[in-house]
Amino acid sequence: MNPASAANVLSRDEIASAIRGLSDANWIRLRKVADRYSRGRIEANDLLQEAFTRALDTRTCPAHVSVVKFLAEAIRSIADGIGEKVENRLVLVPVAKTGGDESEAFNVPDTDPDCETRLIEAEAADTFRGAMLELFTDDPVARDIVEGTMEGMEAEELRELTGLDMTGYATKRRLIRRRIDKAFPEGWKP
Amino acid sequence: MTGSKHPGRKSMENLSKLLAEDIMSASDEDLLAEFTESGGDPNAEAERLRALFEASIVKANKSRLAAARAGAAANRNAPRFSTACSPQDARQRLRSVLNRPGIPQRLTLAARKENELSDADVLGMLDDLRDLGLLPEEDDLA
Repeated sequence: MNPASAANVLSRDEIASAIRGLSDANWIRLRKVADRYSRGRIEANDLLQEAFTRALDTRTCPAHVSVVKFLAEAIRSIADGIGEKVENRLVLVPVAKTGGDESEAFNVPDTDPDCETRLIEAEAADTFRGAMLELFTDDPVARDIVEGTMEGMEAEELRELTGLDMTGYATKRRLIRRRIDKAFPEGWKP
Repeated sequence: MTGSKHPGRKSMENLSKLLAEDIMSASDEDLLAEFTESGGDPNAEAERLRALFEASIVKANKSRLAAARAGAAANRNAPRFSTACSPQDARQRLRSVLNRPGIPQRLTLAARKENELSDADVLGMLDDLRDLGLLPEEDDLA
């Protein structure tokens, strides 16, 4: 790293100092972000601890980025990484030995999920989707936003779909988050 | 999302992102009020998370110390030039290393006097250069 770019990123001590200086509200903010990303695969506390460790030792925090945003992004990245790791892990399958003393050989199977895995995943996805949509049966606009989001639509597309302006969309997003928070206070647990 | 191998995971990721965006844009007052409404004590929770952070620092420092110890042990166990290299080969290696750009001038001055150095001095210098991290990997005795 050259001196110019080094000056634009926070040092380990500066990151630690910024984290120590977080307000109560920002600690609650991070806790809530971790709850939302835990998704039953990792505890929120573990996500936070891993984010702290990476913030101090492996990730680079640009000086202009708030440390709360930086940690929230680290939490997201860790959670998404865990999801990918679990679903793309390679299972090494020993092949039949054909003789000789050489160490056992392994086949590396296709990483595409097999039929059974697909069925289980589809069932889990349906359960999750159903549980989320069920919360908004009385509010078709909120329901459209939740459904569209799960389908991968961006905010602009969702505003176009629902006819909401920026403020209306933000208000509806707040309602959605509060309702999901209330229904699943510690995040989704399948 | 039809192209995804894991549409269920993508749905969860997308929704989590939407909720996190809202949390990040909420005011401090709203977040504290919500937390209190749900029966939590924001001050106690913040204290708990501060303690979690301090514990993470201790854990990270221990990992760094363990890595440093492992590195030092590996360095100690690495083969020494003084026992694994012929004196003639060592002189050639020393000359080529000291002629590289980026080597401190103090050391290149020593190279000029290489003819006056004993074999043991040359081998010792190579060991020292490696210990200082100034020896390129291709010149190491791995």
